[in-house]
Parts: sequence; structure tokens; C-alpha cells
Amino acid sequence: MADAIETLTRKDFVSDQEVRWCPGCGDYAILAQMQRVLPEMGIAREEMVFISGIGCSSRFPYYMNTYGLHTIHGRAATVATGLKVANPDLHVWVITGDGDSLSIGGNHLLHVLRRNVNLNIILFNNAIYGLTKGQYSPTSPPGTRTYSSPMGSVEQDFNAISVALAAEATFVARSVDRNTKHMAEILKRATEHRGTSFVEIYQNCNIYNDGAWSFATEANVKDDQTVILEHGQPIIFGKDRDKGIRINGLAPEVVTLGNGVSESDLLAHDETLDNPAHAYLLSRLTHPDYPVPLGVFRCVERPIYEEQIIAQGRQAVEDRGAGDLNALYHATDTWIVPEGPDAETVQEVHEELPTSNIIPDIEQEDPMAPRTALQQLLYDPISSLDLPVPECVSADTSVADAVETMRSKNLGCLLVVNKRGLLRGIFAQGDLFEKVAGRDIDLTKITIDSLMTKDPTALKTSDPIGHLLHLMSLHGFRHIPIVDPDERPVGLASFKVMLKFTGGLFSDDISPN
Amino acid sequence: MAEIDIEETAESTLFELSEIESIAIRFAGDSGDGSQLIGKEFANTSAIVGNDISTLPDFPAEIRAPAGTLPGVSGFQIHISSEDIYTPGDEPQVLVAMNPAALKANVNDLPDGGIIIANTDNFTRNNLRKAGYDSDPLEGNGLSNYRVVKVPLTTLHKEAVAHVEGLTNRQIDMMKNFFALGLSYWIFDRPIEPTIRMLEKKFQGKDEIIDGNVSTLKAGYNFGETVEEFQIQYQVKKAVVAPGTYRAVTGTQATAIGMVTAAHKAGKTLFYGSYPITPASAVLEELAALKNFDVRTFQAEDEISALGAVIGAAFGGAFAATGTSGPGIALKSEAMNLALMMELPLVICNFQRGGPSTGMPTKTEQSDLLQCMFGRNGDSPIPIVSPATPSDCFDMVIEAFRIAVETMSPVIFLSDGYLNTSAEPWKIPDPDDIPTISVEHRTDPEGFLPYLRDPKTLSRPWVLPGTPGLEHRLGGLGKEDGTGNVSYDPDDNQHMANIRAERLARIADRIPLQHVMGPKSGDLLVLGWGCTYGAIRSAVRRMRQQGYSVAAAHLRYLNPFPKNLGAILSSYKTILVPELNMGQLSLLLQAKYPTQVIAPFNKVQGLPFKISELADKIAEILGAPKNAS
Ligand SMILES: Cc1ncc(C[n+]2csc(CCOP(=O)(O)OP(=O)(O)O)c2C)c(N)n1
Ligand code: SF4
Ligand SMILES: [Mg+2]
Repeated sequence: MADAIETLTRKDFVSDQEVRWCPGCGDYAILAQMQRVLPEMGIAREEMVFISGIGCSSRFPYYMNTYGLHTIHGRAATVATGLKVANPDLHVWVITGDGDSLSIGGNHLLHVLRRNVNLNIILFNNAIYGLTKGQYSPTSPPGTRTYSSPMGSVEQDFNAISVALAAEATFVARSVDRNTKHMAEILKRATEHRGTSFVEIYQNCNIYNDGAWSFATEANVKDDQTVILEHGQPIIFGKDRDKGIRINGLAPEVVTLGNGVSESDLLAHDETLDNPAHAYLLSRLTHPDYPVPLGVFRCVERPIYEEQIIAQGRQAVEDRGAGDLNALYHATDTWIVPEGPDAETVQEVHEELPTSNIIPDIEQEDPMAPRTALQQLLYDPISSLDLPVPECVSADTSVADAVETMRSKNLGCLLVVNKRGLLRGIFAQGDLFEKVAGRDIDLTKITIDSLMTKDPTALKTSDPIGHLLHLMSLHGFRHIPIVDPDERPVGLASFKVMLKFTGGLFSDDISPN
Repeated sequence: MAEIDIEETAESTLFELSEIESIAIRFAGDSGDGSQLIGKEFANTSAIVGNDISTLPDFPAEIRAPAGTLPGVSGFQIHISSEDIYTPGDEPQVLVAMNPAALKANVNDLPDGGIIIANTDNFTRNNLRKAGYDSDPLEGNGLSNYRVVKVPLTTLHKEAVAHVEGLTNRQIDMMKNFFALGLSYWIFDRPIEPTIRMLEKKFQGKDEIIDGNVSTLKAGYNFGETVEEFQIQYQVKKAVVAPGTYRAVTGTQATAIGMVTAAHKAGKTLFYGSYPITPASAVLEELAALKNFDVRTFQAEDEISALGAVIGAAFGGAFAATGTSGPGIALKSEAMNLALMMELPLVICNFQRGGPSTGMPTKTEQSDLLQCMFGRNGDSPIPIVSPATPSDCFDMVIEAFRIAVETMSPVIFLSDGYLNTSAEPWKIPDPDDIPTISVEHRTDPEGFLPYLRDPKTLSRPWVLPGTPGLEHRLGGLGKEDGTGNVSYDPDDNQHMANIRAERLARIADRIPLQHVMGPKSGDLLVLGWGCTYGAIRSAVRRMRQQGYSVAAAHLRYLNPFPKNLGAILSSYKTILVPELNMGQLSLLLQAKYPTQVIAPFNKVQGLPFKISELADKIAEILGAPKNAS
């Protein structure tokens, strides 16, 4: 194979199909550079797959003598992802347009970048819908007049590089159709990168949006209006290479070298920064306020999607052994119906389950059941708590007796009930502090009736525990009486008990049987 | 599912039993009450003692509905029987209601004379209010048509586990469902040992949890034995079933295992791309757990992406499938046509649910048949197969892959939520007995064309990228046959449309002929498809026992139809077509067999057909039974 690869030439990549772009279209230059660069990459032709969506640009795979798929509008990235997962050894290019991957396929673009599938995306940005004959696209600047925006587009345009960076892309670059040397360099870099490579190419649609990128292509202006990014180098541009980008606070500014401004004052480009802020800042250098960067904005390493999927498969085999169908079928309780009409007994077989868990764990059986211990709080009734039985007294108990009861039984409060045993009040330590302490009162003479909190907030046994906690935290209650449906006290929820209970939730081995 | 192709034989064997032949029981309570768990456990034990079983969980409509309220009720119905049964039962004869809401939500399904076992501890004023009862229904005579058994279950349960040390209150509370299970075991005379063994295995090393659960299970069982009130005990005879090793299987499991089997036997990677949607998500989850079978799952960003990736994976040589339900199929339709035009083998599972739009996600329906048949732009003939029972999902998803690979076409596996969640016993096959789908990837460049056709199947070669000398391009544009070159030539386009239609038609040569159960000709044939199998079969059997002459046939191949379908239909005066939609198969039959009398029988209530509904309909069409013999 190696021999065959080495002898590949541009011609080997030219298919038998007649190229049908408009004469003068920027797509030709990109096709030519691709066909020029690929033979140098050391990849066998049959290992290459070009996958496109729909658009002028998406005709590209037909012209490449490799494997190719011309899919549907916007979805090339999804097809490419599936192919890479099925066969990670293939080299896959996604060919797309600004409408294809920033409008209808915007969602897929974000997700393929985020996943970091090892493939290369080449976005032909002509800031127009070419194939459908000239409607504005998501990269057409506001005011663009097209057939579908005769008075000018009123939509904010997308910056493809910013979008890619926001989607966590690991390789982000830009080139332009007329700078073939630069484009070839970028295509090579993209091919070499492990992970998703995103390349935006400014492409001229000479029919519907001619000159959209002339600021970056016309010989007399391009050096002043673009800047070539070079890793490790200060950002310098201009015909005379006398201008640069300096950072002022969070904003970039254009400065002229000399007059106290030296190269060391300029922003130096570093494409390997893990933090995408630098690359993002560069992506916001837009025409006409700034020179527009061409080159690699960002190139970092991150685990590759399909490799991780394959690794999990390998791990699963290591952990559980290679899949065995018979074991899979039996991976649950089975029973044997014996041969013969008078076979009376059905034998039950409890297989020692292989780790493969085709039958979900029984605790997952009820998918609606609350999952965590804390969620359970919202549902469990107070009756499921182990609450102490409250000490109940009548309202005519003297404060002295009450205090004695509390002291001897080590209680924080007493519940006060009427003759029928229904809850009427609560008398707590706090009441003593607030209303008795320090005053000259004969505790044997007064009753708790005058000091207790009347008709206190109480909860029913059937109320959820969550409600109890909620009241305690909201009102700072230290004690909440728990009553039966007739309002007879049956329990006392104290702050202390609840603390113990919630603490238990975290230490317990919760068994969801 | 073995029965489906088997002619029904001696009918006299059916009603000989003195004990009850079958009974359906429903466990209902709050989501947290574990109705699903004990229902499942009850089903397993029943299967082990030799009954046929069929189960159907009923999840609350609202996730996290408040405890004690009607929307929060969760249920699990199981049907146990001495004969082979096909449905989880029309109406439960026994309802175990863990709280007032569970009673209220289910009591109307109970026939007169049915038994209600109620946990009185939960019939508190507050719970009654939440369920919308003004007074305690257990006290008045509102339930006088039923036999109400009041059990202070929570109290009894707490006593039963009081001796177990080291249990938290929460753990104790969660175990109470095993008291109900123990009691149910006593009523239906099944052993508690299998459940004890399950608990011992499950909670190995957690002795207090085993002890607690087992104690309350036994207490529930003994309660039945010792309490006077319980003079009701049933024995359900063993079912006569073919010898072999069995397990319970849900449609979800059978679908997943079937896909793994198809791929594994062919020596292929299984790629499954899916975007979560009820009731399809469970299949994605099932497969994600089987990575040691070379299963690669892809949770996509949407349904379009899921199928896009499946197309890529199929191009790359994997056995590739996607799964969704109706709303997802709508999103996939453009990509389905791409797969059709590229002529790539892949399977699209539609686990149907109530529609249109978001509809009733947790309820079942069969209303996507026409969507699958026609819901795409252009003439788009895509094969459709449809499983009839939970275990049949295994066979039919393998069939879907076989047809896909043989035909080089996407194939729709049209299942539904009811099949996914229902369970039935499955006679476990020997993997070696399952035919391997033979796959051939062309490597010979000599005379190669991407759309070169096999003269018999009209399928094109499946060439893997990476094969030297066979580089080619596939796409969705109109094309010339053979080369696959883009072409808008009128003849090319007509030719390709003809090829796609003929390629589909020829599948009929490679699928089994349609079977009929019952008389070979006569007044009435009941023709169904999908999850109505159980109800139709049971209803037809019941009516034949009553002397009616009625036959049944169940379609598992919907596009194309089996070759003999026309001949079969023409042997009957009327074709009754019950469907959980507004008449979709009926429409197809009327179009294809215009002279046939088709009687649609439809409902879309989110519920399966009841046997009795179908039996009544058959009686209505046939009038008084003519005694056939
Ligand atoms: C589902 C769908 N919607 C719309 C179209 C029509 N369509 C084809 S290409 C295109 C826009 C292409 O623009 P772009 O992606 O920028 O590609 P270009 O032609 O400019 O290279 C549109 C809207 C389609 N083919 N499919
Ligand atoms: S319409 Fe524009 S983009 Fe399309 S081929 Fe013509 S010039 Fe190129
Ligand atoms: Mg464009």
C-alpha cells in the first residue's frame, strides 16, 4: 500500500464527472487545492471519504475520485459521525456551505464539534445561498441585498469562527479561495489534526454575491485588511508590516509600530492555549475595523469521540468477557418445562447472572419512583419517621409544674391540650426565657395558659416530611407538633430529631427494595 | 410467539379445568409503593410454577405527581393462566390498592364480584381528600358490588419487621409492598421461596434488609392463612406449554436482544443511533448496556442526526439501526429517503405511541402505519415488518435486518409502546438455530458499478469504504442505474422508480406465506397486525368455542404483504380489521383489494383492545352462532 500512496498524484483524485460550477466560482480553487494536497498526505485513496450536504459546494464529492456521499441539506456531519464510529480508520471530510452548516445544519455542526469526532469540516463560506440562486445566508451581513432581502437583510450574521469556538472546537482555521498557497497549508494542517478540524474558507460566488470577500483578496488592500496568524509570533500586518494588534484591557486595538510601540507590546499568537478566549478575541477582528485573521486560530488536543466509544467496548469485553448470545438470553431467572406429558414439576433455574444486565436491576423497575434519598423526602409521610410521643399537659398547669416536668424528663417543650385531648398550644423553653426569666413572678401561681403559644402550627402524620423541613427552615420552628386527623397530638418533631434524620440519609446505605 | 404460525388443533382440550384457568390481578399504589416491583416478582413466580403470564405496567401519566393523588398512581397488571394467553387481561379480578387514589383510579375496571384488597392504614382523611373522596369508600356501601378485604397493611408490616435490627424508618417503609406480595402469594397459592431466593441474591451481605423483606413477605403470606376473612384462595393450573427453557421477556428486551443477535451472528458491529423519546428510549438504554457485544450506541442531538449517523454507519459496514416513535419518524423522513436512494441496509424502529403531535407519549396506538407507508416525499417504497407479541420482537427485528441486507434497503420495524412494556414467557432459542444473515461485501473491481443489480433481488453491491479500486459516490439525486451517476433523464428516473418498486415487491418471494387460524374459508376473517394479536386471538378462540365460525390472521409483514394475502381474503365474506387507529390497514386493504368487504373496527383511546370488545364485534357481524360441526 505504501508504494501506491507515494506515487499518488493530483490526477488520481480527479473523478470522471464533469465539474459543473459556474465559471469563475471560488469552489474550483478549493477543489484544486484539495486534489493537490491529498497526494502529499500519505493516505491511501480508498481510505478517504468526502461527505457533503446540499448546495453548490456540496457537489464536491462527485468530483473527487475517492469514496463519497452526497447526503441531504445540513446533515453531512451526522452521516460522517456514524461512519467514523463504524470505522474510525477512515479519513473523512465534510464539505459544507454557510447555509448547509450554519442554517439548516447548525445544530449538527455544534454537536460534531463538541464531540470532537476525528474528521475535517471544510465550510465554503460565500455568504449566500448559491444553489437556490441567491438568497441571503446566516453569514450575510445586515443590510445585504439579495433576492429574498431586496431592501437589505435585517438579520445579524454569524461569525463562523466564533460559533465553532463556542462549540468547543479543537481545531479552528480560516483561509480564502484566492490564496491557494495559504489554503493548501491550512488543508494540510486540518488533515493532520486529531479531532474535528473546522476550516472556514472565504469563497467567492461570482454570480450571486460577487466580491463579498474582496477586502481579503484584492492585491492592493488585502495586506492591510487581513492578518496571517502565525503561532508564537506577534500579530503584525500591513503592506509594510508596520501595524499590529495590541490588547487594551479586554479589547484589541490596531497600533503602528514605532513611536514607542515595539513588537513586544503586541499580542503574540498562541494557537495551543487551552482557554479559547484568545482565539475568540481574534475571531472578533472583523472587517472593516480590524484586519481579518487568516490561519489557525486554535489547535488543541482533546479525547476523540469515536475512539472513546471503541475504548468502552474494549473495556466492556475486558470486564465482562466477549458477548455470548446464550448467556445473554439466559441473563435472568429462567425455568424449564420438561419433556413429556406427565412431567409434573417445572424446574426453576437461577442462573448465576453474567454481568451483562439485559434485565434491568429490580430497583430500576419503577422508573417513576423517586430516585434519591432527598427526593424521597418530598413524598414520605411524617408517619414514617420515628418521632417521640409528646408530653401533653392541660392549660391550667402551673408554670412551676411545667418546668419541673420539662427538667425531669429533659424536654424542650410541652404540648398543651384541651379536655378532649385536642392540641391547643405549645409551651417551650423559649417561652420561659422570653416571658419569665428575670421577672419577679411566682411560678407556682401562674399557669402556662398565659405564656404558651396558642394554636401552634401543626402537621398531620400523612403530610410529607419535606413539608416539615420546609416549615422549620422557613419559620425557624424548633418544635412542630404532629397530630392525627382529629388534631390529637401523636408526635413531636423537633429540630434535633430532624437533624439526626437528615444526617442518617447521607450515611445510610439506602436500599431501595 | 411460536403459536403464530401453528394451526390451532383440538379445541376440545381447552376448557377441561376445574380450577380457575386464569385470573388477572392489578397492583396499584403510589409511585413509591413499588407496585411495578411486586407485580414483576409475582409474574416471575407464576411463570416458575408453570402458568402462562402476560404483564403490563401502567406508569403514572405525570412524572413526579404528588404522592396520594390520582395522577401519581402507578400500577402493574398481570394475567396468569393455565392456557397460553396473549394479553395482560381485560379486567383485573383482583385489585390490590395501597391507597385511596389507587382505589379510585382502578376500581371502575373491576368487574362485579371482584376483590379489593385495601391498605386501610393509608385511608387517612388527608389521603382521602387527595384522592377526591368525601368519605371513606371502605366504610360506606359504595363498594358493595365487590368483595372488600381491609388490611391494616402498614401496621402489620411494621410489627412483622419490628424484630429486625438496624433498619431505618425509610427502609422499613419501603419494604411494605412485600407484605402485599406475600398476601397475594397466599391468595393465589404460589410459593414464596423464589422471591426469598431473589432477595437473598439481590441483597447479599445486607442481612437486615433480607431479614426485613423476608419477614414481611412471610407475615403477609401467614396473614392470609390465619385470618378468617380470607376464605378466598385460588389455584391456577399449570399451563401446557412446549418443553424447553423459558424466561420472561419484554418487547424492549426482545428487540434489543434480537438486534444484537442479528449483528453478532453476522460478525458485525451493531450501531444504534437514537434520540431519547418515549417509548423508544428503553431500547437505547438496553443496548448501551451491551457494549461487550460490539454494540456502539450513539445518543444523537436529534432524530435526524440519529438516522444520519445510522446511514453513515451502514455505509461503513455496520448493522445499523435507529429507534424512535412517531414524532421522531416525522423528523427522519427525509433521511429515510436518502437511505432508500443510496440503497443502504439499515433498520428504522418505530415504537408507536398515541398521536398526533406529542399526543399521549405513554399510551399505545397503531396510528403510524400510513406515516411509515407513505409519509415521505416522492414514491418511496420501504419494507415494513411488525411484531405481534413481546417475544416476537426478537424474531421480527432479525427479519428486518435480513430483509435490509438482502434488499439493500432501509426497513421499518413497526412496533409499539404496549409491546415494549408488556412481558411474556419466551422459550429461549439456541443461538445456533437462528439463521445467520449472510453478508457479502464486494471487493472485486472487475466490472464493478455501484448500482450493479443482483438479478434476483435487484439489490446493489454493499461495498465498504477502504476497499481499493471500488471508490464510488452515493447520493440522493436522481441517477442512472448501474453507474449511479447523477441524471435527470426522464427514462432514467422512471427506470429507477420502477426498480425500487419491483425490488420491494420481490421481497414477497422471500417471506413466509400468511397463516390463518381456523376455518380456511367462511363468513368472517379477523385480520390484525401488531400488538392486537393477543386480544384478537383470544377473542376468536372464545367465539369458536361458542360455535361461531370465524378465522383469524395476523400480518407481520405489512410492506409488501405476503403473496397469498389476496387469496386468503377472497375466501371470506367479510374481513374484520381491528386496529388502534382510525382505519389505516383497512384503507390499504380497500385500495389493494377493492372488491373485498372490509369492516374496520377502530379505537384510539390509548388502551389495547379488550377481548370482550372484539368478541362482541364478532357476534354483531355473525349474528347467532351456527354450530360449525
Ligand atoms: C430540506 C431542504 N431545504 C431546502 C433545500 C434547498 N436548498 C438547497 S441548497 C440550499 C442553500 C445552500 O446554500 P449554502 O449551504 O450556502 O451552499 P452554496 O450553494 O452557497 O454552496 C438550499 C436552501 C434543500 N435541498 N433541502
Ligand atoms: S452559484 Fe455561486 S457558488 Fe454556486 S457555482 Fe455559481 S458561482 Fe459558485
Ligand atoms: Mg453558501
